Amino acid sequence: MEIDRELLKGSISLLLLNLLSRGEMYGYEILEAAAVRSANAFEFKEGTLYPALHQFEKKGLVSSEWRTGDNGRERKYYSLTAKGRKAAQKYERQWQHLTGAVNAVLGSK
Amino acid sequence: MPSIERLIDEIMAASRIPSEKRRREVLRELRAHVEDFVSAGRQSGRGEEEIERLLLERFGDPRQIAQQFAWVYRRERAALHLGGFLISTVVVSLVILAGTISMRAGIMMGFGAPVVFGSRHTVAMALDILASAAAYLGLLSLGRFFGRPLAALAVVAAAFVAVFVAAGLPPQYILFGFANGALLRGIQVAVRHPALRLGGALACFGVLGAVFFRPSSSALVTTAASWLIMGSAYHLMTHVAARVDRALLRSM
Repeated sequence: MEIDRELLKGSISLLLLNLLSRGEMYGYEILEAAAVRSANAFEFKEGTLYPALHQFEKKGLVSSEWRTGDNGRERKYYSLTAKGRKAAQKYERQWQHLTGAVNAVLGSK
Repeated sequence: MPSIERLIDEIMAASRIPSEKRRREVLRELRAHVEDFVSAGRQSGRGEEEIERLLLERFGDPRQIAQQFAWVYRRERAALHLGGFLISTVVVSLVILAGTISMRAGIMMGFGAPVVFGSRHTVAMALDILASAAAYLGLLSLGRFFGRPLAALAVVAAAFVAVFVAAGLPPQYILFGFANGALLRGIQVAVRHPALRLGGALACFGVLGAVFFRPSSSALVTTAASWLIMGSAYHLMTHVAARVDRALLRSM
């Protein structure tokens, strides 16, 4: 299902940080993981992903490192910093709270 | 895939990411991404053309991605602009200082000498030259900073006038400074040949000086000497300013 950009905007940070909290990944891996885990409901676009990762790095939420991966190619791996992990948890709590509230409104008579 | 390479080039060109090192890294990262995408596409049995089409579709409008990168690195860019402006101002001020010192050494301005020849003459001269240098650089750097050359011009002109008024110089100096600045800038933009540029700068000083200050015939030697020195110094200043500015802000 195509999701409205405005609706998606606020959840991108949460999704990215959550995916990275499971382990370090490089850009392409993140896109794949997002598609697989959401059963293709989410499709990060390259144009959203990379600027967002760089912004996170500037904010100190993630750190990056060029390394040779299992496939023998050099990739830029991103991992959460302590600050990033805290932010991921905070976003997740806020999200649960928000969706609970939204669902309550939607389900009310 | 030439169309993908072109797309990435377009993104990089429009992203205005400061620092060559950072740009190279983003480029490397995007290329790695394309590599992964292509090899994954091949593995799932897609043809080259289809992979290319999919990739172009996913990347979308290169200007949009570039804009996002530009936003992420906006502070670094502003800092670089400001740094470039300050550094080039200092460099040019040093060039001007050399000119001022040589004038203090005795070959004072022949134009209008009786009017301003007094105790504050040297200070006033130095202020005049520094203000001109700042104004010139301001035009170059502020123009890019705000993307509005006319607004930048108004700001610099106001500062220019304020300095002149504070130094107590007669109004024809302001006109002289402005006319010269405008003509020198014009010469620098329009004339490519270095000798013609220098000649143009000297002619511009000579003609404007004669019109504005009407030197007396008794001061012809000092007038000619100061004309040569001032003209060359201003020419050097605009030359250095343009070089410094270009070198510092090449990546903008």
